[in-house]
Amino acid sequence: MAATGSRHWRDPGAWRLIVILLFAVVTLFVLVYPAIYVLVGSFRPGGGLLSSTETLTFRNYLRIFQAGFGRFIFNSLVICVVATVVSTALSIMAAYAFSRFEFRFKRTLFMAILFGQVFPWIVLINPLFVAFATLNLINSYVGMILTYTAFTIPFSVYMLVGYLVTVPKSLDEAAIIDGASRWQVIWMIICPVMLPGFVATATYAFLLCWTEYLFALAFLTQTELKTLPLGLYQYFGDDYVDWGAVMAASVVTTLPVFLLFLPIQGRISPGRVAGAVK
Amino acid sequence: MRDRLFITTMLLPSMVLLVLFYGYPIFDNLRISFTDLSLLGMKKGGNWVGLANYRELFHSGEFNHILFNTFIWLTATSVVLRLLFGLGIALLLNTRAMRVLRLAAVSRFALLIPWATPPIVAVVIWRFLLERNGFVNDALIGLGLISQPIAFLADIRTVWPSIVLIMLWNTVPLIALSLLSSLQTVPEEYYEAAELDGATSWQTFRFVTLPFLMPAILVLGLMSVFWSFNNFVYVWLATGAGPGTFTNVLATEVYLKAFVDFRLGYSSAIGMVMAVVMGAFGILYLRLEETL
Amino acid sequence: MLKLLAAGLIASAAIVGTAGIAAADPVTITFRFNDTEQEVRGAIDEFQKQNPDIKVELQRIGWKDARNQFLREAAVGQGPDVAHVAQVWVTEMGDAGATLALDDFLQKDPPPNGFADFAAQDLAHGKDGKIYGLPWTTDTWAMVYRTDLLKEAGIDSLPTTWEDMRKDSEAVYKKTGKAGFGFPAGSSASGAMWFLANFYWWSEGKALIVQKQDGSYALGLEPADVVAAMNYYKQYMDGGDNPQSNLAASDAHDPAIMQALVSGNQAMGAMPPNTYKEILKAYADANPGKEPPFASGPFPHQPDTKSSMIGGRMLVINANTKHPDEAWKFVKYMASQGVFANFYRTQFPAQNSLLKQIDFGAPLKGFAEQFPFARTWGAYASGPVPIGTLWNATQRAFGKALSGQVSTEDAAKELLAEIGKQMP
Repeated sequence: MAATGSRHWRDPGAWRLIVILLFAVVTLFVLVYPAIYVLVGSFRPGGGLLSSTETLTFRNYLRIFQAGFGRFIFNSLVICVVATVVSTALSIMAAYAFSRFEFRFKRTLFMAILFGQVFPWIVLINPLFVAFATLNLINSYVGMILTYTAFTIPFSVYMLVGYLVTVPKSLDEAAIIDGASRWQVIWMIICPVMLPGFVATATYAFLLCWTEYLFALAFLTQTELKTLPLGLYQYFGDDYVDWGAVMAASVVTTLPVFLLFLPIQGRISPGRVAGAVK
Repeated sequence: MRDRLFITTMLLPSMVLLVLFYGYPIFDNLRISFTDLSLLGMKKGGNWVGLANYRELFHSGEFNHILFNTFIWLTATSVVLRLLFGLGIALLLNTRAMRVLRLAAVSRFALLIPWATPPIVAVVIWRFLLERNGFVNDALIGLGLISQPIAFLADIRTVWPSIVLIMLWNTVPLIALSLLSSLQTVPEEYYEAAELDGATSWQTFRFVTLPFLMPAILVLGLMSVFWSFNNFVYVWLATGAGPGTFTNVLATEVYLKAFVDFRLGYSSAIGMVMAVVMGAFGILYLRLEETL
Repeated sequence: MLKLLAAGLIASAAIVGTAGIAAADPVTITFRFNDTEQEVRGAIDEFQKQNPDIKVELQRIGWKDARNQFLREAAVGQGPDVAHVAQVWVTEMGDAGATLALDDFLQKDPPPNGFADFAAQDLAHGKDGKIYGLPWTTDTWAMVYRTDLLKEAGIDSLPTTWEDMRKDSEAVYKKTGKAGFGFPAGSSASGAMWFLANFYWWSEGKALIVQKQDGSYALGLEPADVVAAMNYYKQYMDGGDNPQSNLAASDAHDPAIMQALVSGNQAMGAMPPNTYKEILKAYADANPGKEPPFASGPFPHQPDTKSSMIGGRMLVINANTKHPDEAWKFVKYMASQGVFANFYRTQFPAQNSLLKQIDFGAPLKGFAEQFPFARTWGAYASGPVPIGTLWNATQRAFGKALSGQVSTEDAAKELLAEIGKQMP
């Protein structure tokens, strides 16, 4: 196959570059400015909202860590990482079955998974709370992990099926003829090809867990088990809001996400698919 | 036969979890929606009232307004715009030009920021940016586009666009990044073939890129509709369903009825109606998808 | 030989085991306090020192979710032993069976000055007459002023009537261009217009819900009364001295309003003391060394009417608690004079004898002046319609009226009709 290096019409001309640059800058600005606002505010007394002082201080961060924020980070990490891993694994399994096989009730089951999503979460809280209370799953990692896994599966399955159908079954069959088991097919053929899709799905699941508030509020009442969103919401008091703490807490809530996903960003690289799907 | 076992193993764990976490609460809700259970009376349970809750819901004067808000503004507008912007950004990030400018990696990184921001923080920030002496008004006045600051979240002409803006900021990155991964699975030779056939950029997009993205767009679209229709946080935190009851949507109505009025029975009825509406929509959507 | 060894081991294990049980295991009670931990940390540590056999575990939940969470938990046998709740929740929580009746404790082990010393007692009773919570802290709302802006507009004394308040606000706006009375006109379910509307009605001797002589409840307002209140506040919106953007603000502590007061862009505000203290603090941070140009004053009232509410918090004991005696000990301790004098200073105690001893300081004088002219929610809380419902309905109606969505007459009619529908 000819190298894609030196096609003239593909090398962007100057005008094209400028237009794209303009769009890119505007987009980047809109995406990022609000976050910078929070970052700067987190170093100002009162979050920079109540007065326009230019002083910078670490006191907001000190306050939230003294209130136990370190523990919240740990809880969120444990619950969300485990839930994401379990949820993605189970979803990949289910999605593989849906995308590769025909079987009785396939349509029904698939619809059922999809349509679980049609319910607003608020009405699901009370019944689940009562059930959890009876099963002693309130204030437990296990309870939260199971909850988050359950609630991220439908979307994950649907997304993964969408990805998996683009990988032709012939690939699987070729490998099977060569003697591979289904599991080996998934692990050695599907995963490498679909890695960008898996990563995107896992990212979504993780972020859903990470910022989730309604269920965490209902199921975690002991301070040492709380997750980051609960810690954040606590600063919205009755008579006033501790804006400095809110800003600092927002930064702390967002930062670990970056640290986790920075190394993975590189995996979403183009071109690896071209050779495999032949 | 081996296949059957394999399929069952693959599906069982997920199905079990879903039955426990969705199935059980849904049936419980169905039961509650026929009672007058109140949050204050949870120990005693509620009395059976049959279809009274549903009748009250459909006859309430506000129902049409709430439905309109939920369908048109919260769902339709935000999802369509979300897909458009997401697609646009994904295409932008995939162009050669971005790689030349070395902005591709930075942009992908930047997309994570709005996505990782919890909704309450997003709303708080944007409420401040949209204040009468906030950044947006300052910029618009500075550019000479307006002469008086606009009260974005208080004026009924601008309140819905403002809410949609906040939702877009928080959710477009997901669409953009997902479509970007899909875009990156488009094999190079398709583009080369198109070029050889003398296709313009638009034609390449329409006949090569778009079909490839269609499955992903449809998936994301449907999921976005479900999620937006049921969404509570954005409207609640931005305007509290106000001014007055102008931006009340079904989910905020559920919250108001359940946690302010304590009427769990009535709010369960609203929840069931929401589910039925979305269910019907989903079925129509999938029928449509099959014909495409 | 081995058998002896085994017997010995088992015996010693048994002895150690029972010795462990014999030494009193500390009882652990959970206390859910919904403001910041620092406020009560000192008090709790002191309590644990004084009572080495009781450990207190502190929990927190934001106020917005505190009530629902507690009700949910209590219904399934969970929840903290002692909870920090709003005054107006106690009646309904008691009726729902979520909290323990305190009458026995009050008889056998009463607080030092007796129960009669407590403010807001009427709200502590359930429908069956039993006492379900101990009033703990109290506060009230008052008006807050920027004296420098008032002076600039040629006003040298704080207004004492509603008309004067409007005149002063208008004067500030016309003469300085800054906002006059910037009140949160938003309509979110637990917003501030509820308070402002009620203060207006109370100052005229009226109320939304009243309890009649025979014990039944009724609406205490005519449409004209509601229209009057709505028209009064609408003047500020129409005149521009309350900026239109305040239609998006629902809380007294809305950052935009607080910022306006701190930076001198607004002359008048209405709020509880803690919000006011935050404003004073923010001003001091931004202007170190300068004297804060702030003063406070009561809402306009007549000599025999009230114009603000006695708000506050109570402590309740969970009906499911396994340690009622320890819980009561803790509750009694937290309401004691020592705690308010030495540790918990951010709120005012809900006991008249203790209140008299508080020095409010010059900027907060208005709050001290307001207290004698403040009333509890009374019939609103003990009446048939949940206060949350009344609050939400009033917010919506005022929101629609103030934003011009509907006429004040229509909004008033709608409000009274909606509430009337829910009265028996």
